[in-house]
Amino acid sequence: MRLKRDLAVAALAAGGTAVAVRYGRARRRRAARRGAAWYVVTVEADPAELSGTGRPDALAGLSERHEVRISAAPGGRGCEIAVRDADGAARRRLREIKQLLETGEVLRVDDQPEGHRTPVGRVALPVARTLMRRGAR
Amino acid sequence: MKALCWAGINEVAVEEVPDPTILNRQDAIVRVTASSVCGSDLHLLDGYVPTMMAGDVIGHEFLGEVAEVGPDVRERRVGERVTVCSIIGCGRCRYCRSQMWSLCDNTNPDPGFLEALNGHATAGIFGYSHAMGGFAGSHAEYVRVPYADVNAFPVPDAVPDAGAVFASDAVPTGWMGADMGGVGPGDVVAVWGCGGVGQMAAKAAYLMGAERVIAIDRFPERLAMAAGRVGAEPLNYEETDVLEALKEATGGRGPDVCIEAVGMESHGTGGQYAYDRVKQALRLQTDRGLSLRQAIQACRKGGTVAVLGVFLGFVDKFPMGALMNKGLTLRSGQQHGHRYIPMILDRMAKGEIDASFLLTHPMPLEEGAKGYELFKHKLDGCVRAVFQPARTT
Ligand SMILES: NC(=O)c1ccc[n+]([C@@H]2O[C@H](COP(=O)([O-])OP(=O)(O)OC[C@H]3O[C@@H](n4cnc5c(N)ncnc54)[C@H](O)[C@@H]3O)[C@@H](O)[C@H]2O)c1
Ligand SMILES: [Zn+2]
Ligand SMILES: [Zn+2]
Repeated sequence: MRLKRDLAVAALAAGGTAVAVRYGRARRRRAARRGAAWYVVTVEADPAELSGTGRPDALAGLSERHEVRISAAPGGRGCEIAVRDADGAARRRLREIKQLLETGEVLRVDDQPEGHRTPVGRVALPVARTLMRRGAR
Repeated sequence: MKALCWAGINEVAVEEVPDPTILNRQDAIVRVTASSVCGSDLHLLDGYVPTMMAGDVIGHEFLGEVAEVGPDVRERRVGERVTVCSIIGCGRCRYCRSQMWSLCDNTNPDPGFLEALNGHATAGIFGYSHAMGGFAGSHAEYVRVPYADVNAFPVPDAVPDAGAVFASDAVPTGWMGADMGGVGPGDVVAVWGCGGVGQMAAKAAYLMGAERVIAIDRFPERLAMAAGRVGAEPLNYEETDVLEALKEATGGRGPDVCIEAVGMESHGTGGQYAYDRVKQALRLQTDRGLSLRQAIQACRKGGTVAVLGVFLGFVDKFPMGALMNKGLTLRSGQQHGHRYIPMILDRMAKGEIDASFLLTHPMPLEEGAKGYELFKHKLDGCVRAVFQPARTT
């Protein structure tokens, strides 16, 4: 009974995720056709802060593995940081850099109180988190 | 500590869970004194919000006392009585600075699901699924509050717990509905749904100068509350044809502002309702849009429809033609609570807003499952059940 219900819940979550993934995939295919390969976030920061030796270590680290382009955002909206061929890990790093620059910390959600996880949930949750943390392109 | 966890569809249970700890330097730990059920939780309970996992602590509308602060918390002090906004903002991103807090860029560390589904991710919400950030909720003895300086608001002594708890969610949400509608003197406003959110939208509309507010629902006790406590004109959609009644009441014009405070599980009568239920059950549409369609149909030419009810996916038969040809403005959003909460607490202290009558069922946390049962089925006149962890009976 319990297992049946767990599976139903897992199926529901999987269904939702499948829809989301399908949309993501279609978008990626469209992007691939256009040849676009930059992942970009806008950060409330002065472009000058992000170049030269004074730039944040995390950004320097990202630049070692990826081509990174920084430009001023229109309308005084800070700057745009673009990363070429960003994989999931790079997208996550880039969002973390944005958080650090804007708020001074990277928000954590692991290690919070939680009740009884089902065997399915114990396996599924970290996987789901890892996938969602990469963000979509 | 004890906490109320989602255990599966239509199943919640009080469990013993680890205490929350400070995970970020700007966090605070709040000892919860009151934590309310909300219509949004029903969408979780009914299984319409994917990425819920058994063991997730739910609850997002709450009041408490600051128990501990992280080293980078500057304003909040241990011992302070605070209302915490249900939506989590960072206070620093472009959206938070522009007072669009529920669109915060930085409070959903796991944005992939929403980005893929909606194009962009929005702010984290307490106790509202892993897609919305996976934050543990407030139906617990303690809760961790990120960016405590911007998300926790000190409550004036003059405001009792019973009112202050709703300054977290129901009151600012209702206020935002009237605000988005641009309600002004002389307006006739119609509100779909007489839950906490709808009633507070009606109240806000009056405070902004509306001449008449018509409140729509089917539960007599909720309609009576909206009439008696807020002064709205009740309209029972099971007894009257809503569209006809609204035309009649507005000289044929239709309401200037229509506020939808029902959401994706709209109930209704007739064929359209049956159609929506079947399609939702088969997952051919994710959300039922009856009251939304009706609000658009009823709204006067050039009027505004403000959607407060939560929708998560797709609605069928959306009357785009009516929206376009009548030149309507459609506005929506999760609440930008931070923008309104200080003003609301101030008005509560002055006696201009009273929300305490929404609290029909104060209960100990242990009775969480019963509270949701009463609230979901609107039994025993339940409008909002509020869990008070320190309470024993
Ligand atoms: N935008 C936000 O930030 C925000 C915040 C809080 C709640 N909400 C949403 O607002 C909605 C209402 O929340 P609540 O706590 O008041 O819920 P609630 O369940 O207490 O009230 C909903 C009411 O709508 C009525 N209703 C159902 N179908 C209707 C119809 N066709 N016409 C008129 N009334 C109808 C129900 O009888 C019920 O009284 C929910 O969808 C909730 O998710 C949104
Ligand atoms: Zn809510
Ligand atoms: Zn923000």
